[in-house]
Amino acid sequence: MDKKLFRKGDIAVIGIAALLAAAIFFFNSRGDEKKLAAEIRVAGEVIETVELSSLGEELIITPDTEPKVIIKAENGAIFFEDAECPDRLCVASGKLTRKGDTAVCLPAKTVITVLGADVDAVTY
Amino acid sequence: MKKKKSIIIAVSAASLLCLAIAVYSAILPKKTSVDFFSMNTYITVSAEGKDSPAACEEIQKLVNNLDSGVLSRQSEESEISAINSGGGKMSEGMRRYISDMLGIYEASEGAFDFALGSVSDLWGFGNEPHLPADAEIKAALKKSGAGKISINGDEIAANGAVIDFGAAGKGIALDEIKSLLNSMKIKNAVVSVGGSILLYGEKDFTVGIRNPEGNPGSYIMTVSTPAAFVSTSGSYEQNFEENGKIYHHILNPETGYPVQNELVSVTVVSDNGLASDALSTACFVLGAEKGMKFAEKYGCEVIFVDSDKKVTVSDGIKDSVKLTDNSYSFAE
Repeated sequence: MDKKLFRKGDIAVIGIAALLAAAIFFFNSRGDEKKLAAEIRVAGEVIETVELSSLGEELIITPDTEPKVIIKAENGAIFFEDAECPDRLCVASGKLTRKGDTAVCLPAKTVITVLGADVDAVTY
Repeated sequence: MKKKKSIIIAVSAASLLCLAIAVYSAILPKKTSVDFFSMNTYITVSAEGKDSPAACEEIQKLVNNLDSGVLSRQSEESEISAINSGGGKMSEGMRRYISDMLGIYEASEGAFDFALGSVSDLWGFGNEPHLPADAEIKAALKKSGAGKISINGDEIAANGAVIDFGAAGKGIALDEIKSLLNSMKIKNAVVSVGGSILLYGEKDFTVGIRNPEGNPGSYIMTVSTPAAFVSTSGSYEQNFEENGKIYHHILNPETGYPVQNELVSVTVVSDNGLASDALSTACFVLGAEKGMKFAEKYGCEVIFVDSDKKVTVSDGIKDSVKLTDNSYSFAE
């Protein structure tokens, strides 16, 4: 009597399942690397996440802040288009297009971050 | 029958895998992040370890209390507001901060001057920046300077000078945060107080040095370091243009005007938060040559970036710095 735990056929099934899982993981990770998404936070709360890499048309976001800020998202970029704060340093930050890019409006307590930085922190 | 057995084996293997993943996730150290606004800047905390949720909460409390109760000139209830408006007895913490800052003021021969509040107020940085009248700057400068401060035991008198923690407060906050983390079960943490960084834990960290021409999240080089404090002073922060000229916020204590030298930014790596913050300003004011010697005296590592996109790095971290933007190069 054959007492083997696995027969050839069983090993083949497990092998195919493992290969399939590895392939799904690999393709999912590759997709994530290419994806570009940005998070808009007001006073520490995420108010919107925008998929920049798949944005068909321009998006205007006007969070409920004082002073007012206008955020514009387009394919592959997001930025403070206008702000009523005195120094407008947030607008001067320009277009955010790469992972880790960040713009902050201190008076409006609003932060835009492109997700996925590859360093622990940036000193400025 | 064979087919049925194969399915059972495949399902069992998948279940075991799921269980292994669940167990692995459960034993991984907890990670918690928080971001908030305080000290007139943006603060981010990322902590790993059993106490990470509590650490994030406690750090927020600590920073808010330190700002409104001790360091902020904008807060009427703060200790520094009381000192600036007549002096008096210092708390133990304040005595330590002032004593350390006076040490750096003296060692830098006044390049780091933390009592220029009256002068910086004229420039309106952080609010509505503008070029003040020359006579106003000269008058404010006359009554300013850390040299006017007198200390007798716990008593302090600013004697008309206005003490400002703008060039050391972030570092002080990071020192206090490090002490707090030491009392908690935290494996690793990264805290940024307006771009001044605390790297806490036993691993090696990678920090980006900001691109002077980019946004606060973009960088031109990285530095790898074990646990440390990293601070940067840059002329790209808080600047404005008037009459075709750009004015930045790092003031020359001798003139009351923004420092004019070859530098764009100075980054200091230290085992002390106050020192890393204050020395980044001092070294900016001193310039690359004198600044390098000064940082060495304090046992700090330093990175200078100049307007010709040349990077000068102190010997101790030379091998840990990697340029990531090819328009920048190391100075000969």
